[in-house]
Amino acid sequence: MIVCSRCGKENQDHYKFCLGCGAELPRQSSKPEPFSASTPSAETPSPGRTTNAPPARVGRAEALASAPRLDVDLAPVQPARSEPVEVADALPPELAPLGDATSPCPHCGADVPENFRFCHVCGYDLHAAASGGAPAAALADAPAERVSAPAVAEAPEQPAVRARLVLIQPDGSEGEAFPLSAGRTLIGRSTGGLFANDAYLSPEHAEFRFESDQLVVKDMESLNGVYIRIEPEVPIELFDGSIFRVGQEILRFEAPLAPEPAADGTQYMGSPHYGYLGRIALLTGRDTTGNCFPVPPQGIHLGRERGDVVFPEDGYVSGLHCRVHSEVGHVFLTDIGSSNGTFVRVSNESYVPRGTFVLMGQQLFRSEY
Amino acid sequence: MEQARNYVCTECASAVPSGHKFCGACGAAVPPEAQTLETRFFGALQMPGKARLIVVRGDEAMGEGLSYLLQATEHVAGREADQIPFPSDNWLNPRHANFLYRGDKLVVRDEGSLNGVYIRIRGTSPIQIGDHFMCGQQLFRVDATPKDTSGPEADQTHFYSSPRRPSAFRVTQVLEGGMDGMVCCAREQSVEIGREDCDMNFPDDVYMSPRHARVEMSGESLELVDENSQNGTYVRIRGERELGHGDYVFLGRNLLRVEVTA
Repeated sequence: MIVCSRCGKENQDHYKFCLGCGAELPRQSSKPEPFSASTPSAETPSPGRTTNAPPARVGRAEALASAPRLDVDLAPVQPARSEPVEVADALPPELAPLGDATSPCPHCGADVPENFRFCHVCGYDLHAAASGGAPAAALADAPAERVSAPAVAEAPEQPAVRARLVLIQPDGSEGEAFPLSAGRTLIGRSTGGLFANDAYLSPEHAEFRFESDQLVVKDMESLNGVYIRIEPEVPIELFDGSIFRVGQEILRFEAPLAPEPAADGTQYMGSPHYGYLGRIALLTGRDTTGNCFPVPPQGIHLGRERGDVVFPEDGYVSGLHCRVHSEVGHVFLTDIGSSNGTFVRVSNESYVPRGTFVLMGQQLFRSEY
Repeated sequence: MEQARNYVCTECASAVPSGHKFCGACGAAVPPEAQTLETRFFGALQMPGKARLIVVRGDEAMGEGLSYLLQATEHVAGREADQIPFPSDNWLNPRHANFLYRGDKLVVRDEGSLNGVYIRIRGTSPIQIGDHFMCGQQLFRVDATPKDTSGPEADQTHFYSSPRRPSAFRVTQVLEGGMDGMVCCAREQSVEIGREDCDMNFPDDVYMSPRHARVEMSGESLELVDENSQNGTYVRIRGERELGHGDYVFLGRNLLRVEVTA
């Protein structure tokens, strides 16, 4: 158990980021950890907290950062919102040993292993302080997120077209591209062109803009919303009312909502309640749902053929598609390598990392910038 | 050698037929029990028209196998009832149900309880939208298909809905605590419930039969059909219901069997 020093939340030992606030968690030095894991996020504050982010967006940002790594053999999942700059010949993290020798951090005084470039407690850049004192291995393995910081400066100097939305055609090939300027770009049925004939788009559906080097989409209170494809194996937190799309199915997570007990102490009888986390409801209208499935503590899998909830008639759902599961009291959605992806509906605003698939109306786009 | 076939006078040893108050030979009085040949019951349980409730599955505090003889005219069951108490079952109201005689018929009446009174159906029972029923450990409610709310907006934007199929009704699982759990919309005309290979499956419910029951639309009305399940299917009564020998009644966690002497 690691107690977050910022918000006091208790996190599981293998977590690298706090589930409560997203802060970097201190390493437990008893076992070797990949060096790159000690990226001090304090140096690169999550944009989700510096702006008036809607809950789901914060949730997304946190989930990206705090993704519990369930499979340690996987290549480290980069936080999708910061495109890492190529680091030539990076030493595999497991080859960067955690030395016994430590030296005090000049900033906070913590005992920092000698091969750390950054203080694992305060994030102080020891390399800058020691001016070349760090081993070469640590240099090469400098955390990508840090290195990517100058990306803002390297970005093209305010071109008229700063990004493009590339239409993905039904057969999977790429079609027309819709340009996005550095300013605000409104998309909807009324903006014409690519979008004029899509009856599922609201006249003013979504707005794209840049926040430093990040593309941001804002749902203009559209009827059908904007969906963003989530990365495989990266858990995204679900909140009461979170909507996601699997194949053709629109699903909503609903937190448990029990009526008040009766005044005379009589409890509502019913089927055994195995500590359900909530339920997944199929949306069939603005105010109506179809089939619903409670989510037990061990979670559920969704797929066309396999899993606890199956969609045998939806050919766009993979055999085993995604799962809804719980980690330390929070509920997450994880795509488990589906072909067509799992899409989460944007609550107000969201970052659109490079290459992310965005679903609006009947059309699917890939962001390119 | 054979036995005398009548009462024998204790004074003169003459035979006295039943109905005589005095011995015809000596005039000695005949004791009252010998005058008539009225047969008595071994016990009150044999009294005609009187019913008994046997706790088949019961309250932890009161135990199973307990039986209640319904000798009065009204017998109230509940968490704080005097006659049929189930003190540790918080699914029962203090005064939950009343077992009473109407003429020579026994009926059970729901005393406005929160969770209701359930009676085991025999074969097929009519059921209505809003009714509750139980299979194994599961509680269900039959719901109507909601009105379609997926029409286009005034600005002609169409609503994107999950694929839908026409459905006559739906069955909702009701969880302990009152929250709705699983919902299954009828495909075609029925929803089948069981452990495996049904529309709603409860593989962990050991009291449920593999194929337990189904709700189906029969013409214009709904029916609840028990598919010869081992533990039965129970439907919540509205108001009061007549009980007969062999009926089963669920009150909260307690299952009662009704025995009525003919």
